Amino acid sequence: MRRLLTLFNLLMVAYVVAPIVLVVWMSFTPTMLFEVPIRSFSLRWYEELFSYDAFIDSAWLSLRLGLISALAATALGFLAAYGLVRGRPPGAGALLGLFTAPLIVPAVVYGIAMLQFTNLVGLYGAFPALVAAHVVIVLPFAVRTLLASLEGQGPELEWAAMSLGARRRHAVLLVTLPLCLRGMVSAFLFCFLISFSEVTVTLFMAGPAHQTLPVRIFNYVSDRIDPTMAAVSALVVLVSVALVLVLNRLGALAAVRK
Amino acid sequence: MISGAAGRSALGIRLGGSVWLFLGPALLLMLAAYLAPLFDTTIVSLHPNRPTGIDRDSWTIANYLRLLDTYYGEVLLRTLRVSLLITLFSVLLAYPVGVWLAGLGPRGQAWAILVYMSPWFVNAVVKSFGWTLILGNRGLVNRGLQSLGLIDSPLRLMLNETGIVIGLLPGHFLFVLLPLWAALKGLDGNLRWAAMTLGARPWQVFLRVTVPLTLPALLAGAIINFTMNMAAFAAPALLGGTRTRVLSFIAYQVNLEELNWPFGGALAVAMLVVTLGFVMVAQGLTRGGLGGGRR
Amino acid sequence: MGGAPAGLEARSLVKRFGATTAVDGIDIAVRPGEFFTVLGPSGCGKTTFLRLVAGILAPDGGSIRIGAADLTQAPIWARNIGLVFQNYALFPHMTVAQNVGFGLAMRRVPRADRGPRIARALETVRLDGYGGRRPSELSGGQQQRVALARAIVIEPDLLLLDEPLSNLDARLREDMRSELADLKHRLGITTILVTHDIHEAFSLSDRVAVMRAGRVEQVGAPTELYELPANRFVAGFLGPVNEWTGRVGAIADGTAEVEFAGLRSCRVPALAGWRGGDEATVILRPERLGLTAASAAGEGAVVGRIDQVAHLGNLVNYRVAAGGRALLAQAPAGRTGRFALGDRVAVAWDDADLAPVAP
Repeated sequence: MRRLLTLFNLLMVAYVVAPIVLVVWMSFTPTMLFEVPIRSFSLRWYEELFSYDAFIDSAWLSLRLGLISALAATALGFLAAYGLVRGRPPGAGALLGLFTAPLIVPAVVYGIAMLQFTNLVGLYGAFPALVAAHVVIVLPFAVRTLLASLEGQGPELEWAAMSLGARRRHAVLLVTLPLCLRGMVSAFLFCFLISFSEVTVTLFMAGPAHQTLPVRIFNYVSDRIDPTMAAVSALVVLVSVALVLVLNRLGALAAVRK
Repeated sequence: MISGAAGRSALGIRLGGSVWLFLGPALLLMLAAYLAPLFDTTIVSLHPNRPTGIDRDSWTIANYLRLLDTYYGEVLLRTLRVSLLITLFSVLLAYPVGVWLAGLGPRGQAWAILVYMSPWFVNAVVKSFGWTLILGNRGLVNRGLQSLGLIDSPLRLMLNETGIVIGLLPGHFLFVLLPLWAALKGLDGNLRWAAMTLGARPWQVFLRVTVPLTLPALLAGAIINFTMNMAAFAAPALLGGTRTRVLSFIAYQVNLEELNWPFGGALAVAMLVVTLGFVMVAQGLTRGGLGGGRR
Repeated sequence: MGGAPAGLEARSLVKRFGATTAVDGIDIAVRPGEFFTVLGPSGCGKTTFLRLVAGILAPDGGSIRIGAADLTQAPIWARNIGLVFQNYALFPHMTVAQNVGFGLAMRRVPRADRGPRIARALETVRLDGYGGRRPSELSGGQQQRVALARAIVIEPDLLLLDEPLSNLDARLREDMRSELADLKHRLGITTILVTHDIHEAFSLSDRVAVMRAGRVEQVGAPTELYELPANRFVAGFLGPVNEWTGRVGAIADGTAEVEFAGLRSCRVPALAGWRGGDEATVILRPERLGLTAASAAGEGAVVGRIDQVAHLGNLVNYRVAAGGRALLAQAPAGRTGRFALGDRVAVAWDDADLAPVAP
């Protein structure tokens, strides 16, 4: 019985990771046609990739957008989580619901809303608007990660610091923040990962001037297929998998599991 | 900590009024860049669309009534059918996976769960691209079958509903698997032995003890999974093609190609309301905070 | 260490959490240099009281003075108190020396002066040489002592100890208790200990306040509380008691003749308000009940049968069925004078050991 289950799970794992593995595999094909199985190894498509300015631009945009929004979301997320945990304001549950709503509200819905709203206020296609949208999208991950971090710490250490003469800002800076470092790093990386993978909202609202890597791939794949795409995709997979492994080591993936 | 208002003064440890200094930035962002856009879209959806643009002076519910047209009804039915199929397969596949996971050692479980979660973390566009390499007419499956002489002409595995189901399932599988896994781990191991000492066979234990005790968690996960399927955009767009359109793709066309924002807004509001309704039901099933995911 | 020790005066302190009143009008005055304990079962409001004094919570009413200063509205960092937590609350990312030096840094003590003061504080708690370690490298007892050093190095006006021994195992707790008793004499800091442990309270304290449901039931020296509890709750909380309810007879010169069904009548100091014919309750500690063989029963003794025996090592607890009551007696576990289950014994007591209690 157990063996049957193991066999089933091996097949299941093969199924769920197949497209990811295949993309990486294909990116090393030397010919224009997808050869199965791969006959020889080539980095040709990677070389070609670096001559596509459009993809380089997109990669830079994705990187910039990811870093800025992750940084902003981690900062806002820490403040918000601190306020929720230590302040227990009236309606804390509703506030947490609001901060994590982007997890539940479909990306298509938010994408449409941002498309229409940025047009209304004259910010369509503006980079700050895109950053704001990405911060909103990744904020739930920052808030959840840092909430867990702060709740695990308990208030006693801050009380101890304050009883020894520290003002709140000193207690937060000297005690709370250093002890949340792991959570902060996790939140930052998590936010970057989510921003880096975001397609839908960006596609709806960013306009032609701001095509992130996933959006560029989306537009390109809709037209035609060539192994250059596999090379870009393989790079995206590499970044994502590396981040997931680091986050797993940091124990941060529980923020999704809840 | 303790609930209730702060004391007479802004003294000591309680944050008191300064709590809003901490919550303020995130709250402002959510108001300006989240609630305001959603509110605006709701308002827009209640205005008629004229050749000259949105007529903000008159109000109508015609945009919502249009959702009932046969064409959109058909799209809605397809979206529902595809989403339900994915949820159904996910539920069926979740038990063998969950039971196997629960039987592994802690390290094995951690790694296996990571593998099952990984598709969710990888960009939907990239995964869909991978699926086109596998399911396309000249893809892995068709060429494999052809070289074995099993088929003459390639099977149509994508640019239809089959493609959407195959491609979307792995990415949303974790929403069913994770709650089930948690419920299985939470089961009192002694229940199994208790049932067995009372004469139950392993399969009877599974059907009479394990399944009933884990079903609420699984159902809650299934609902989240379903809403995710309903709202998915990139994968159905790439794997369904131009003929097999789902709701989210129609919403894309209406908003970005036809530029009919009132109707596009109505589509968005309808999706929002339906999703929130399902999520509330799911949260009622498990009094925990089952979060969803996006994409 | 510091200057003249300060006292604490808490007046009609009130703290409510929603509908429940955790601290319901407490008046406590701690004398300068005194070791004062707030004792009570969990949920009695003793920790809330401590947090009010520390400034962690803001009171809904009343005032707090430390020394001459009214600190009711003062923030926690301005109160100059040393606080030792149940879970120690050592900063895990700092060394022992950094932990102890934290309060000095916050007080902007020049760097050059900090080192010697940290060393002295660590010496006081017998941890010299441990300054470079991390808290996680220390045992529970050592962590406890670091927390103590961290609290006393700032020369606080008041030292607050929140169940400081409850996280230690039994042996270590005994050691720390005697160490605290030592420190108390050496430092002379006014100290408030909050605990639910009677032994801890009695062995360390000059005076003890017993709390129940947000109120102070009685304040006094340990022996005073033990011998003359104000009411049945205090009597019962401080250890097992025989509690007899009888009827008051004649009262003369403040002494009442009380009749107990099944026992003999006793002469008890009358409580204010007792009148002839009233119901009256007295208590008697088990160790004050004398047991002898029934054959040697003296005058006024009650004869009964032993129906439960429990050996506690150095002591033996007996339960005697006599006069329709269950009498608790405790005796040293000597080689002579032991009784077995079912033995007939005579129970005797001195009326002077009876204490009248309010209901």
